[in-house]
Amino acid sequence: MFKKPTLTTTLIVIVGFLTLCPVIMLLLGSFSQDFVSFGQFTTVKYVEAYTDPDFAAILWNTVIFTVGSALVATLLALFLAYVNTRTDLPFKFIFKVIAIVPMMIPHILFSVSWVLLLNPSNGTLNRLLMDLFGLKDALFDIYTLPGMILVEGLLDLPIAYLIIAPAMSAFDVSLEESSKVCGASNLRTLMRVTLPVLRPAILASAILVIVRSLASFAVPSVIGMPGRIYVLSTHIYRNIASGFAADFGKAAAIGMSALAASITLIYIYRYLTSESGKFVTISSRGFKPTLIKLKNAKYPLFVIVGILSFVLIVLPVMVLFYTSMLPYSMVPSAKAFSMMSWNNWVEVLKDPISLLSLKNSLFLGVVGATIGTTLSIFVSYVIVKIRSTASGILESLSFLSFSFPGIVIGVGFMWFFVRTPIYGTLTALLIGYIATYLPYGIRPISSAFVQIHSHLEESSRVCGAGPFYTMRRIVIPLLIPGIVSGWILMASMFLRELTLSVVLSRPGTEVLAVQILHFAEDGLWGKLSALGIIMIFISSLLVILAAVLGNKLTKMEVVNK
Amino acid sequence: MKKMFVLLLGFVLLPGLFTTVQAAEKMNFYANITAIQPIMDEFNAGQDIDGIYTRISTSKYLATVLTEFSAGKLQADVLQSPLPIMQMLKEKGVLAPYKSPAAAGYPAWAQQDDTIIQFGIEYVAPIYNKDLVKPEDVPTRYEDLTDPKWYNKMVMPDPSSHATTISWLVGLKEAKIFGNDTSWRKFLKGLAANKPMFVKSFGPTPAPIESGEKVLGISMPKYIISKAPAPLDWARVDTLLGTPRGIAISANAPNPKAAKVFVDYWLSQNAMQLLATKVGEYVLAPGVFPPIDGISQVKVLPIRSLSDDEIRSWGKEFRKIFYAK
Repeated sequence: MFKKPTLTTTLIVIVGFLTLCPVIMLLLGSFSQDFVSFGQFTTVKYVEAYTDPDFAAILWNTVIFTVGSALVATLLALFLAYVNTRTDLPFKFIFKVIAIVPMMIPHILFSVSWVLLLNPSNGTLNRLLMDLFGLKDALFDIYTLPGMILVEGLLDLPIAYLIIAPAMSAFDVSLEESSKVCGASNLRTLMRVTLPVLRPAILASAILVIVRSLASFAVPSVIGMPGRIYVLSTHIYRNIASGFAADFGKAAAIGMSALAASITLIYIYRYLTSESGKFVTISSRGFKPTLIKLKNAKYPLFVIVGILSFVLIVLPVMVLFYTSMLPYSMVPSAKAFSMMSWNNWVEVLKDPISLLSLKNSLFLGVVGATIGTTLSIFVSYVIVKIRSTASGILESLSFLSFSFPGIVIGVGFMWFFVRTPIYGTLTALLIGYIATYLPYGIRPISSAFVQIHSHLEESSRVCGAGPFYTMRRIVIPLLIPGIVSGWILMASMFLRELTLSVVLSRPGTEVLAVQILHFAEDGLWGKLSALGIIMIFISSLLVILAAVLGNKLTKMEVVNK
Repeated sequence: MKKMFVLLLGFVLLPGLFTTVQAAEKMNFYANITAIQPIMDEFNAGQDIDGIYTRISTSKYLATVLTEFSAGKLQADVLQSPLPIMQMLKEKGVLAPYKSPAAAGYPAWAQQDDTIIQFGIEYVAPIYNKDLVKPEDVPTRYEDLTDPKWYNKMVMPDPSSHATTISWLVGLKEAKIFGNDTSWRKFLKGLAANKPMFVKSFGPTPAPIESGEKVLGISMPKYIISKAPAPLDWARVDTLLGTPRGIAISANAPNPKAAKVFVDYWLSQNAMQLLATKVGEYVLAPGVFPPIDGISQVKVLPIRSLSDDEIRSWGKEFRKIFYAK
C-alpha cells in the first residue's frame, strides 16, 4: 500500500527512538558502578542479581503467576467476548462495560478491595461464608499464589477482552456454518474452526497479559508480600529497598530477564501466526456477522454472566465506594455505617492538587491515546502486512519499554529526559506514556488487521485510489472496532498511569495516579477510594464516548457503501 | 520591518523576564516527609516567597536527586530526607553548609554537622487497635511482642528489605534494649515465630490494624494523629528508637536566599509545633511534642546511620530468621 521499506524504516526510527532511549540508559546503568547511568564499568550487578540463591524460586513463582493470570484473563475474555458479540444475551451493553471496568481502577485499589473481601482474618466475604455455613476457618486466603492470579487475571481481563472482542465481532460465521454442514458438532466446530481462526487474537491477548503481569507491582506487593510470595517485580523492589541508596542499575540487571522473556514471547507469537492467510475472515467476498440465538439458554446464561460480573468486578467497586464514605478502614458493622459521611469526597473535590491532577490526566488520556492510536495503526500495518525481518524488529521495539518492570522503566525515562529540555513537563509524560504503552494500541489493531484480506486494498489500488485514500476509505473503516479498543486501552491506561508518573511528574504536572499513591502512602484510604471512583467515572465516560463514536463511524461507513 | 522585529523580540524576551522574576520568588523543597501541606501553606502565607513542595519517596530519593544533580538540573533549593540519605548527598557535594540560627535550642548532637541539621526522629513503636486489645493485654515491653498470643495477629514492614525497619532492629541491639545480644536474638526469633504479616514499608501498617485484620504492629505513633479517629494507640514501652530526619540547603540552590529563609522557618518553634500537632511527627525543637498521650515522657533515641552494606548484610541475616520455615 505505502512505499513499504520507507514506511518501515521511518517507523523503526520513531518507535526505536521512543523505546530504546530509556532502555539504553538502563542498560548503561546496569553496567555502571554508580547510582546514576554513567559510571565506571562493572558486571558485578549482573553477578549479584543472578547468583542470588532465592532467584530460582522467584522465577518459578513468576512463571506460575504470569501464566496463571494470562489463563484467567484470556479464558474469561473469550467467554465474555463470545456472549457479548456473538449471542443475543440481554443487556449486553452493561456486560461490555463491566468487562473493561478493571482497566479503569487503580490496581492498588482493586488489590486492596480484594484484601478487604478475602483476607483470612476478617475478609467480608470470608466472614459471610463462615456465618452462612458455620465454618471455623476462613474458606479463602487471598495471600496465596491463586489469590494473586485471580486478582491480576481480573485486572488484565480488559486487555484480553479488548483484543479478543474485535476479532470475535469480525468473525465470518459462514466458516462455522460450512463446518456444521459437513457434519461437525458444535464443540468440534468451536475447537477446529472458531478457536484456530481466532488464534492470533488469543495468543496476542495471552502474551500481552503475561508481559503485563511480569511488570505488575500492585498485586505482588499488596497480596504477594503479606503472603511471603515474591515474584520478579517484588524481588526487584526488595533489592531496591534494601539500603537507602536504591540501586536501580541492579534492578535493571534483574529487569533484563523480563525483557528477554518478552522478546522471546513476541517471536513465538510471530512464528505461531506466521501463515497470516489462515486467519483472514474479511475478504472481498463480503461478510456478515450474525448473532447466535440462545433460545432457552438465554436467561440462565444471563444469570451466570450477571453473577460472575457482580462477584468479580462490581463487588470490589462497591467496596471502594463503601471505603470512600468512612473515616478509616473498617469492616461492615453498625458502628461503620453510623460513621459514614461524604467528608472524603468533599475534601478531594476541594483539594487544588487533586483537581489539577484530574485536568492533567484527562489531557494526557485524550491527547496521548489519540496520538498513540494513530502511531499504532501504521505500526500494526507494517507488523501484519509486511512480514519481514524489519517488521519483526519493529514489533520487538514496540515492546521494549512495556516489558520492563514499571518501577525500573520510570527511572530509565528519568535518566533519559533529564538530558533534554522537556524534563519535568507534561510533554515528557506524554512521550513516556506513548512509548511505554504502544502495545496497547498495536495489539488490538493488529488482531483486527490480521483478519482483513489484502485483496481489498489491492482492489482499491487497481481502481486508482492512492495509499492514504485506500487506508482512509477501506482499511480504517474495517479496523474501527480494533482502533476503538486500542484507544480505550490507551486512554484508560494513561488516566491511571503510575510507574512513569511517580518519577517524572513534578509540581504543576501532577497526575491522578501519583495523587492516589500519595493518599495510599499516607494511609488515607477514604480519600484514595473517592479519587479512585472519580477516576473510574471519567474513564467510563471516555469509554462510552469512544464506543458510541466507533458504532456511529461503523454505521456511517456501511450506509456510505 | 524594524517595528515588527522589536515586537517579536519583545514577545520572545518578555516571558523570559517574567519567568526570571517568578523564579526569584520561588523555593523548591524536595522532601520525603508526608502530609506537610499545612506547614507549606503557613510559610507561603507569611513570606513573600512561593514555597513549592516536591514529594519524592525514600526509595527514589537518591536516584532522583543525583540524576538531576549530575545533569545540572537539580531544581531543589532545600532538601529533606532520612539522615543516611542526607549524608550520602553531602558526600556527593549536593549540599551546601548552613548553620541556621533557628536551630540554637536543638540538642547538640542534632546540630553538630556544618551542613545537615537534624530536626526530628522517625520514631517507631508497637501500635495496637484499642477496640480489640484488652488494656491488660497491651505490651509494656518489647519482649511482650514475642508472646504466642500474638501469633498471626501482627503486621510490620518486611525486616529483610525495608531499610528503616532493618536499622530499627539493629538499633534495638545497639541501644541494649534487651541487655545483651543473646536476649536480642531471642526477641527476634520470638517475633518471627509469631508470623507477623509483612508489608513493604510503614505506610501500609496502620490499615490492617485499624480494620481489625491484625490487632498489633510495628508502626509509627504519628498515625494516631494522622489517622484519627481510628482506634489506634501505642504500647508504652520505655524507649523508642528511630532514624533521624535531616534538612539542608542545596549547593546549587537556584534561590539560596529563599532557601535560607525556608530552613530558618522550618526549624522555628512555630513550624515544628505544626509538624508535631498536625502530622504527629517527633521533633527536636525544645519543648515541642506531638499531642499523643505519654509521648512527652518517653525516651526517644536516634539510631546510628547504618551504611547500605550494613543494611544489606543485616537484611540477609533477618531474612534467615524471619523467613525460616
